[in-house]
Amino acid sequence: MLFNSLTFVVFFAVVVSAYWMMRSWPARKNLLVVASYVFYGAWNPPFAALLFGTTAMDFYLGRIMGKQTQPEARKVWLVISVAVNLSMLGFFKYGNFLLENFQWVLARGGIAYQPPHLDLFLPIGISFYTFHSLSYTLDIYRGVLKPTRSLRDFVLAVSFFPQLVAGPIVRAGDFLPQLEAPPKPQQGRFFWGLLLMTLGLFEKVVLADTLLAGSADTVFAYGGSLVALDSWAGVMAFAGQIFFDFAGYSICAIGAALCLGFHLKDNFRFPYAAVGFSDFWRRWHISLSTFLRDYLYIPIGGNRAGAARAMINLMIVMFIGGLWHGAAWTFVVWGLLHGSYLALERLTKVIVGEASWTEHLPVKLLLGLGTYVAVCVAWVFFRAPDFTVAARMLSGMFGGHPQGDALLSTREILQIGIVTLGMFIVHWSLRDTSIESAVNRMPVWAVTGVWIFMAGAILLTQGNSNAFIYFQF
Amino acid sequence: MHLSISNFERVIPTKPWRGITVSVVMTLVVATAAWELYCRSLAYGPSLNDTGDLWAEARRRVEPESLVIVGDSRALFDSDLDELEKGLGKRPVQLAQPGSTAFPVLSDLINDTRFHGTIICSVVPRLFFAPPGSPPMNRSEKSVRRSHTQTYAQRASHVLGIYLEKWFACMKQDDLTLGALLEKLPIPNRPYAQVPPLLPPYFASLDRERRARMVEQCAQPGKLQDRVKHRWARLFTPPPPPSFIPKDAFAEKMHAAFEARFTDTKALVDKLRARGGKIVFVRFPLSGDLKELEDRTTPRATTWDRLLKETAVPGIYFEDFPELADFTCPEWSHLSAGDSVEFTKRLVPHLRAAFGSEGDVKPVASSP
Repeated sequence: MLFNSLTFVVFFAVVVSAYWMMRSWPARKNLLVVASYVFYGAWNPPFAALLFGTTAMDFYLGRIMGKQTQPEARKVWLVISVAVNLSMLGFFKYGNFLLENFQWVLARGGIAYQPPHLDLFLPIGISFYTFHSLSYTLDIYRGVLKPTRSLRDFVLAVSFFPQLVAGPIVRAGDFLPQLEAPPKPQQGRFFWGLLLMTLGLFEKVVLADTLLAGSADTVFAYGGSLVALDSWAGVMAFAGQIFFDFAGYSICAIGAALCLGFHLKDNFRFPYAAVGFSDFWRRWHISLSTFLRDYLYIPIGGNRAGAARAMINLMIVMFIGGLWHGAAWTFVVWGLLHGSYLALERLTKVIVGEASWTEHLPVKLLLGLGTYVAVCVAWVFFRAPDFTVAARMLSGMFGGHPQGDALLSTREILQIGIVTLGMFIVHWSLRDTSIESAVNRMPVWAVTGVWIFMAGAILLTQGNSNAFIYFQF
Repeated sequence: MHLSISNFERVIPTKPWRGITVSVVMTLVVATAAWELYCRSLAYGPSLNDTGDLWAEARRRVEPESLVIVGDSRALFDSDLDELEKGLGKRPVQLAQPGSTAFPVLSDLINDTRFHGTIICSVVPRLFFAPPGSPPMNRSEKSVRRSHTQTYAQRASHVLGIYLEKWFACMKQDDLTLGALLEKLPIPNRPYAQVPPLLPPYFASLDRERRARMVEQCAQPGKLQDRVKHRWARLFTPPPPPSFIPKDAFAEKMHAAFEARFTDTKALVDKLRARGGKIVFVRFPLSGDLKELEDRTTPRATTWDRLLKETAVPGIYFEDFPELADFTCPEWSHLSAGDSVEFTKRLVPHLRAAFGSEGDVKPVASSP
């Protein structure tokens, strides 16, 4: 079920009404479990069984692990949990990718092997719920979370419908405590949740789908060479599209959760105002970058073993991060490119040290622009279907095809320019604050006007039901 | 008791939220009502959108022995389902789609081994022979794919959407969405930009069975009719070959795709006939400059005549029969709502002759 669909509007209205009418807290939680499985099963009912299976397994493994006093014994149960979760993810998401690469390696050795093509449907959101669930056993192993005694609570923590299929990756440790008691009344929480949902849908339906997606699709699907303007416009359209698509989903999830009295953390914090790449990753898909930091980067040594080892660790983490997004080498290159950016930034800091002149606004803006350009270069690999297209796009962006074709209409270029400029203004204005503080400072008429504008624009687009990009991950 | 990592709680901005929400809802209700009235003043009326979900719903109605219409918008506008039911004894399922080639739908139907019904297939050569990867192929393939992958949630949204579309004229997706309105902005393009021509503006209504009817405003001479004609002229003018493939190589590729469509269609027809199914090709009427353009760019001898010869399928070419040729398409490409009923009435005897009795197939048009 998509947030931007009529089915969700009806579903959400029914669930929220029933939820707040119920008095019993356990009954409300039962309702949310059922609603979450209906939400998920509306795509493909059998995959709900898979979701329940992995969740139940982690619940019982967590319980067993919690009883172990010896670290070695805890480690065994953790390894089982990680292995089963990642095997499931690997089978559905990377099965064909691994077979194709195995075939390629054998072919280099002169062995002709034709692997069977596994006709697999990727369970929607598997990368997200696998990480939701894994965070539970990992935190129990780390000793920062005690196992819950309620299977129902854990099932709800993993499957809670607002964040189930495209994040944010909510850790069990952040959600389970919220299930211990019903949410306390909080002035304005429900309406603020509705406004956030409107903002999220506006970003997704109006900005990403209506104003940017078409241009990005046209440019990346073209078989020929493009002039620099169209190449850049296409990449900038995608840079905006993926932000508004994913951040829009996250804000919808946060808003929907608030309407039910739950608090989810921010997943994006104005990333296109980032100055440098470590700053970018503190602002982009925060729930994934902190997950990888806490459960991968730090356990493999982090920056505890010197600068050189830290850079290698960064590359490992970004390699995994790239692969998490999709089973293709283009995603790996995207991750490695970001790993290189981070390593280079770290190296520069070691050589140059802390420079106070970088704090001046014009310098910051220039560095921010440089960060954006480098991020756009990386997006080319993320969006391109293969390396041929990526190479052609990069060549076009840097003036390699002055006689290339022009595909986009003036209107499309204007749309991309206006949306990107608006995005920069908002991100730079709010980079050191939060959306809540910004709204607090706005007069009532402005809040009302902005809400009317966003909801009106959504109605005018008729909320077309394109899937969110991150569903495929 | 859980030992939590953090006790995070979001800040809620302090505002008079109840009042703000009421103001927002009331303004939106008033604005929507005003927009609806404005759309109606422009002659828009409630009509269903021709979405992939509506097509998928129609596809699910196909039974093993169904009568099915496939092809392009001419079959969609010019076939009256009531007249076909009266004349052929079965209510047809309308699967034709605007701007699409019939091939993927034929393939989907005929490769469904349960199907052994009857197919009326419209042939507009530029669309029927469209190569893989072209927009007409993509449109058909997208609908076929939707019918196979449609989720329960999508079905539910579709049903809910229909109730809104039945009541609100402003729900016309092709013309009145934000995206469509932006497309209409008169902003000139770079002279060398390869911007594809726009689809024609609103000129039809559609019902739950996907029966399309030209709106009266388009059937009468005027601005709308002229705009639609102008768009057809651009859409049916062959685009220049792409710059990134040598001209010879491109011509060879197109020729190969063209030839493949004959052999692939024949293979499908043979498969259908082996199961007792029947098929007829129909060339629906067209007029004016568009007819001249189509006759010139896709000559009958190399397209229609050859298709009939290669597949041995009966064909009905409107020009071959005075009673079918006696129609004028107001916007050159489709019949008016009234004429479509009369045309179908006159088409029925030819269809019955083509389908023959006891499975015989009799060519009724002058096959080459």
